[in-house]
Amino acid sequence: MIELKHITKEFSAKGGAFLALDDVSLTVRDGEIFGIIGLSGAGKSTLVRCVNLLERPTRGQVFLDGEELTAMREKRLREVRRNIGMIFQNFNLLEQRTAEANVRFPLEIAGVKREAARRRAEELLSLVGLGDKAKSYPSQLSGGQKQRVAIARALATQPKVLLCDEATSALDPSTTFSILDLLQKINRDMGVTIVVITHEMRVVERICDRVAVLDRGRIAEEGTVAEVFSLPRSEIAKKLVLPDLTRAARRADGRVWRLVFNGQNSDMPLIFSLASEKGVAVNILYADTREIGGGTFGHMLVGLAREENEPILTAFCRERGVECREEIV
Amino acid sequence: MSRLFAQLGFGGFALGVWETVYMTAVSTAVAYLAGLPLGILLCVTDRDGLKPIPWLNKIVGFAVNIFRSIPFIILIVALIPAARAVVGTSIGNGAMIFMLSVAAAPYVARMVESSLKEVDKGVVEAARSMGAGTFTIIRKTLLPEAKPSLIVGAVISTVTVLGYSAMAGTIAGGGLGAIAVTQARPSGAEDVIWLCVALTVVIVQILQELGMYLAKRTDRRIQRRRRGKTQKTAEENPHQS
Repeated sequence: MIELKHITKEFSAKGGAFLALDDVSLTVRDGEIFGIIGLSGAGKSTLVRCVNLLERPTRGQVFLDGEELTAMREKRLREVRRNIGMIFQNFNLLEQRTAEANVRFPLEIAGVKREAARRRAEELLSLVGLGDKAKSYPSQLSGGQKQRVAIARALATQPKVLLCDEATSALDPSTTFSILDLLQKINRDMGVTIVVITHEMRVVERICDRVAVLDRGRIAEEGTVAEVFSLPRSEIAKKLVLPDLTRAARRADGRVWRLVFNGQNSDMPLIFSLASEKGVAVNILYADTREIGGGTFGHMLVGLAREENEPILTAFCRERGVECREEIV
Repeated sequence: MSRLFAQLGFGGFALGVWETVYMTAVSTAVAYLAGLPLGILLCVTDRDGLKPIPWLNKIVGFAVNIFRSIPFIILIVALIPAARAVVGTSIGNGAMIFMLSVAAAPYVARMVESSLKEVDKGVVEAARSMGAGTFTIIRKTLLPEAKPSLIVGAVISTVTVLGYSAMAGTIAGGGLGAIAVTQARPSGAEDVIWLCVALTVVIVQILQELGMYLAKRTDRRIQRRRRGKTQKTAEENPHQS
């Protein structure tokens, strides 16, 4: 379990201090995949670096399984870091070492015997699907392959936690998904807790159990992916999750309502029923359906031909378990 | 052919070449003994280095700059007492090697520093995330990753030392420079001067080619180009996994 308590990080910059993180508290449970999403500059990378103290918070505490990292001496901290693997946007492989020697690198640091380290490295390379690339150098590998090597390397010391800093941001969509599948497999098969930092919705949608939305150094919203993505409450989460809905709402003339369908009620003809049973004409301004965490979520932005019909609309939705709220922009 | 040319003969020039190569090689090696650690120190203690120690960085950087700004011919004079104390004499090849090493060490330090600073910060960060300490990072990340650049730097340093070694004649040392300046010039033996120049050019060329070949051969970032075709297919079809 990772606990971040009141993490604040200031960078001294010209013309005063810059507040990168402002009193951030988070708990990542064992065995889950936790996403931290935000726009660039929100403080995501700084936050994930505070977990293994590559970046030391100005104030606040970091705990791993109840042990306080922020209170540790340097030597002990280095040992603990072996329990926290990390992968990066730019892979950060040693260019002058083969794939196998890259995976062996953390084992060398940990003082594992060469032969044992070699065997472990080969094992890990086949786990990530690169058993035949042991002798290749990073310059001979594609982006996706490099990230696989980096994942193998991060897992070499059998960490409990894997931190992913924009790990798929430099990859094309299909490679992104294959890397995400691999991360999910690692999470399920090896029980590794994963923290994913990203600005991409699809990453969180695809693999995360819970998510925190970071905005200008603060947590704007936090919850299960289903909760946050089906009914984003904060401005920033709405912008991230439903950029088109927000835009459509802004364009609309009169009042508009947001309808949210969840996994149970997304396959019934609500709008049709409303017209045929109640005689209420609904104007659909925006609609989208997404698969999140196994369920189907639909969002619809509607206007009413006659706004005095609002009570009928809300009552009708309530009866059918569809969330309906006025969208005010 | 001048009288001096005949006098020197093959043996004379061969000795000149040998002395030049010998002085250059030993001086550069000694300069690296001091310059490599200094360069590492400069890189590591820098403001955004591995272990920032600004005051130490400033002091070492200042000292290095001072030594680098003294013209070698003046440094020779200034180092005469020091040479006597260290090598036991202030003249001859031994004293020259001492002086060359002192002059080259700060230069080498800057070369090493700039090579190490080229290493991707992300790779260093990755090593830190694995629990590597400062020494491990220097030994297993900075130096190996900078190797091709360090080799190029060594070639440049060696050529610089070779240039300085031509002044050996001023303190009764030997080598091609000494032959040209102290023997050929006063007697007007232009053919000797030109042969010395030609031989120096050849030595530098060999050094340069050899060094660059080594640097390229050890650099794994450019292997792909050398392997050519097989790589290309892997590049075009990267997502077979």
